[in-house]
Amino acid sequence: MNRKLIIVSNLLIMGFILFLIFTYANIKAEESYRNEIIAFEKMTMTTNQIIVNYLEDEQHLCDIWANYINNSAKDGTPMTAEEAVSFIRKAKTSPEIEGHLIFPDTPDRSGISTTAKVSNPDVYSVSYKKIDIFDNIENVNGEDGVTCLTRAYTNPMNGVQSIAFVNDVTVQDEGSGEPKKGLLLRVVPLSSLEQKLVFLKGEYENVEISLVDRDGNYVVHGKSFKNSNFFEYYKSYNEASSDEYEDVIREITSGTGTMMIRNVKGEECVLSYTPLESMTTWFLLAYIPEKDLVESRSIDWLLLGISSLGFLALLVFNSFVMMIYNRKLSEAAQQANQANEAKSYFLSTMSHDIRTPMNAILGLNEMILRDSRDDGIRNYSESIRTAGNTLLGIINDILDFSKIEAGKMEIINVDYSFASLLNDLVNMVQKKADDKGLIFNLDIDRNIPTTLNGDEIRIKQIITNILSNAVKYTAQGSVTFSVQARQPEDKTNSVMLKVSVADTGIGIKPEDLDRLFVAFERIEEKKNRNIEGTGLGMVITRRFLDMMGSSLEVESEYGKGSVFSFELEQRVVNPEPIGDFEEAYRRSISERDSYHEKFTAPDARVLVVDDTPVNLTVFTNLLKRTQLQIDTAESGDDGISLYIRNHYDVIFLDHMMPDKDGIDTIREMKNLTDTSNTSTPVICLTANAISGMREMYINAGFDDYLTKPIDAERLEMMLLQYLPADKVTPASEPVSDTASGIDGTDDNEDVMLPDFLYDIKEINTNAGLNYCGDAEDYIMALEMYLSSAEQKAEEIEKYWTAGDIKSTTVKVHALKSASRAIGALGLGEFAARLEQAGNNGDTDTLDKELVELISGYRQLAKDLEPLKDYEES
Amino acid sequence: MKKNLKRLLPLCMAVMLLLQGCGSGSGSGEKAEKPFAPKYDKETEFSLTVAGHYSNFESLEAEFERFYEHYPNASMQYVTMDDYRNVISSALVNSEPPDIFISNTWMIGNEDYDSLFDACEVLSDPSLDIDYSCIRESLVRTTDSGDVVMLPIFTTSYGMLVNMDIFEKEGLKVPENFKELVSVCEKLKSAGYESPMMGVNRFSGSGLFNCFAYPMYGYNVVKHSDRIDALNSFAPSSGELMRPALERLDEFVNSGCIDLAKCDEEITDEYDSVIMRFFEGDVPMMFATGDVVSGTAKRESKSEAFSAHPFKYRFFTAPSGDDGGYYINSDSICFSVNKNSRNIDMANEFMRFLISRKELGNMAALKRLIPPVNDGSPDEIYSSLADVPADRSFSDKEIGLLDPAVRQFRAAIYAVGNGTMTVDEAVAAYGSIPEE
Repeated sequence: MNRKLIIVSNLLIMGFILFLIFTYANIKAEESYRNEIIAFEKMTMTTNQIIVNYLEDEQHLCDIWANYINNSAKDGTPMTAEEAVSFIRKAKTSPEIEGHLIFPDTPDRSGISTTAKVSNPDVYSVSYKKIDIFDNIENVNGEDGVTCLTRAYTNPMNGVQSIAFVNDVTVQDEGSGEPKKGLLLRVVPLSSLEQKLVFLKGEYENVEISLVDRDGNYVVHGKSFKNSNFFEYYKSYNEASSDEYEDVIREITSGTGTMMIRNVKGEECVLSYTPLESMTTWFLLAYIPEKDLVESRSIDWLLLGISSLGFLALLVFNSFVMMIYNRKLSEAAQQANQANEAKSYFLSTMSHDIRTPMNAILGLNEMILRDSRDDGIRNYSESIRTAGNTLLGIINDILDFSKIEAGKMEIINVDYSFASLLNDLVNMVQKKADDKGLIFNLDIDRNIPTTLNGDEIRIKQIITNILSNAVKYTAQGSVTFSVQARQPEDKTNSVMLKVSVADTGIGIKPEDLDRLFVAFERIEEKKNRNIEGTGLGMVITRRFLDMMGSSLEVESEYGKGSVFSFELEQRVVNPEPIGDFEEAYRRSISERDSYHEKFTAPDARVLVVDDTPVNLTVFTNLLKRTQLQIDTAESGDDGISLYIRNHYDVIFLDHMMPDKDGIDTIREMKNLTDTSNTSTPVICLTANAISGMREMYINAGFDDYLTKPIDAERLEMMLLQYLPADKVTPASEPVSDTASGIDGTDDNEDVMLPDFLYDIKEINTNAGLNYCGDAEDYIMALEMYLSSAEQKAEEIEKYWTAGDIKSTTVKVHALKSASRAIGALGLGEFAARLEQAGNNGDTDTLDKELVELISGYRQLAKDLEPLKDYEES
Repeated sequence: MKKNLKRLLPLCMAVMLLLQGCGSGSGSGEKAEKPFAPKYDKETEFSLTVAGHYSNFESLEAEFERFYEHYPNASMQYVTMDDYRNVISSALVNSEPPDIFISNTWMIGNEDYDSLFDACEVLSDPSLDIDYSCIRESLVRTTDSGDVVMLPIFTTSYGMLVNMDIFEKEGLKVPENFKELVSVCEKLKSAGYESPMMGVNRFSGSGLFNCFAYPMYGYNVVKHSDRIDALNSFAPSSGELMRPALERLDEFVNSGCIDLAKCDEEITDEYDSVIMRFFEGDVPMMFATGDVVSGTAKRESKSEAFSAHPFKYRFFTAPSGDDGGYYINSDSICFSVNKNSRNIDMANEFMRFLISRKELGNMAALKRLIPPVNDGSPDEIYSSLADVPADRSFSDKEIGLLDPAVRQFRAAIYAVGNGTMTVDEAVAAYGSIPEE
């Protein structure tokens, strides 16, 4: 996980936690807000009760006055208006409160006041003519405990805003002496009522209390409420449709509740409303800006802020610590990478460095095996071959493992002959089994298709590993190699191969099975220390099978033997069955013994085209005993000329040649019609021994290919395959050394390498001998190398000067091949490196090093010049 | 009180000042108005009460809010007083007196209000720093000692609301003189309008006869300023000055331009009913004062007829004269400060804030009345007033009649208009014509 991803993840987690805190804070704030609203409503109800209590008290006092006056009337001694007012004047205790006795039926709705007019102390008469307060009074002298109250109005006697508690009274008309109905008003300054609401300021600083009547007209007017009517005020400052407006009126005048309104400043405000108890005409409105109720939410913001800062600090700290650890890890990883690179470099270098002399060892050993008639020497030589091949196998395993570890190993599927694959495998293991006295059983399904598509090389490697192990760890008994085929369901063009190798070997303990696939781990190492191996075989096998979509199954009984098996699906290219492979193999094996030419074909004619004269020499010498007629050509054009002039039974064509390479040459050949070679098989000679090459060459028009350095046996087998049968005479049984008329060994014994060759540091004579076969051929190859050196060097210079990178590269390739063939391995490697640079278009490298290569080439030719004297002598 | 009042200024001076007042925008000689700067600590806590007879005073409440911007701890309240005329004097001397109160020019000369004027702060006192130079001088009343105790807040006028859509529809021009009025009314009647002119038939300043005849009478009085004292003292034969206006009224009532019975039946009060009836959309011309016009904007949405079929309307002077109508610019309401206020300094501070071209203009715009400032009204509804010639434009102050004299004229036109007196009888009875 990279640093950015970690930081983003941290931030996301932080964000999530903050979101939770924020949500929680909001929920709590909402809860708090709801509680505030509920508390505010309760305050409204409390206020309601205070006001109601006050009003009821005042009403009660008014009722006492009225009852006293009315009781007089009931007793038959009704008071006059003056007497009634006089009574009230005495009864009232507060100078602010007035009593008005009004006779509504008089034109001016006039009456008498307990208090004189402020502007005229002599006037006690009072008129309500222009003060309309009586029309809307309900329940005058109604039920007990019900307040009968006027709206707020201006007291006509003193101009003070007042309210009046009303009751009916009966007095005596002074004129007629008859009872007369009047209204008794207990007039109380509105400020007295307002003072009852002062206590609220302590709890809610900005609360405002208003009392309105049913029409919305203010009885008590809050400071912020504009207009003389609350409903008009609401309409002025709140956008509402007429229906909504009516709803608001209905809601406020029909019960208790809370609603949101906007004030003159456009602020959201909470309005709590409730009708005054014991009255149906007044409604209490408590109003407060919403922000005053939700101030507590700021505490949550503080918490949120602190949490955010805390998280950020944690993130910074963690990032810092992580940065330090990452730096250490990075350093460790770098060191590990360097170590790994060093290991890989070491392995590849070591492999190469071992393989190079191994080629010489094994090559020379092969010559000994061919030429020696001394059984003792042949036995020694055979041991060398066995040990050498084992060593090569180990090196190859290490190289493969390195590639797998580096992720550079790829599966490359090509068409291949399954019989050929089996042949190689059986050839390889039969000998080993025979050497150990083991019975090697074959159980090959005869219905296996002839040609399949898959990674032939890796499959061969897998089975080789298993078979080799079976032979190695079986002391006596048998090794059975079985391949069965079946048709997978729903796949008509595939075959499922079941490959198994059963042995009667030492077996594996169940607890050791897992260790089988651990690199460099060997089971029971002490016990098996005499058995060669790196501990990589099974690891590589399993990895290859993984890459091919298969897996290795192991069944083993300790001390009795093991069965290794796997199933592998392969695409079918040619479904023709391979037939009875065991029988064919047995026949071939019975014919095999020590090396001798497989056939003679003195009537057959072969053309070989290669720009490297040494290669031509080697090729010719390797086939010397077959008595073939061999024509050679050093260029594509020369080859074409011969192709036109003569009939050939087989043509070998080198791929990499200057001017006209193998592919261009075969294309030109195929285009020629006036020739007897139209059906002659053409085989490509190539050093590119990698999977997929076969397909490429077949597509280019070749019939087959043969890798260089050329394996003599393979070459003969190929010729047997392609030469007309009537021109081939199978070789007779090998004759004794003395009887051999064509045995080159005798010649070789006479030919000795000149001493000066051993003094040339650049030349590895063993490698040269190995490649060329014997001393005579080797000297011939050296002579050809020498004679063509100057010309080849000049050609390279010419192409380079002309800027022809491609031709230069081909010439360098030829130099590489020729140099290796004569044992000039250093120069060959140098040329190989510059060939690679040429293929990559790396002109800088060529520019810097080509001169050195040519110089080395010329120096070697100069060192070889004594050969001329040798030849002459 | 009458004799204490300052005499009216010469007519020529008044006309000149009025011309200034009716001019558009700020004149070249006007100085730029200084923005209000609080005189006291902004944190001062105080409460003020403004008393008046308006049941609603939203334009003043808007000013409270603006004043709070300077004094955020102030608490101001407008209180509507019942039976204002009778109780204001008592209210000023009670235990909870208002700090500022509405006063009217008609109170001048009425003994009932002597105590009210006695309770007034002298607003022209230089120490108060109240700059009322923005107010047209013809509207500023002074005591005979030269003190200013009341400052106009709104002004009004007398005339008629005209449904412009009807005139456009009928292809008629708004009449500019009496002859055109009669002619237009005939055409409107023939077009199906039963009463081309309507108004409320009440004994009040808003009454239809007053809107038609008072400006003509005022013009006549201004032209005969030497008779003003005689008129105010009801001197014998002084009533003759009413004759031209009364005769024109009589002529108008009998011209068929107006159906009084219809007016009595359909218009039941002098404010709401006038406006709502006009908004029905079938009345070409409706007598109205500026105070009535001030209620139109708010009632447009209340009238279903107007909401369904809105129309364009304007205020014009009544074309009672042969040469055209007359424009009287009268004080509608004034503000006075109670010198016994418990917060006298802050009450004066509020007046200092309020008396400015800007604030008075704001109030008038909200109230849809004519501001007393020199700029006149920016409201399009009053746009026709700018076209009235200067010699037919004057103020109440220039007329110089006291309230009793005005009421006698109002009684005369009410009687003549309703046919209870002839013109001659009304002229002869001047000073003793029965009032409402």
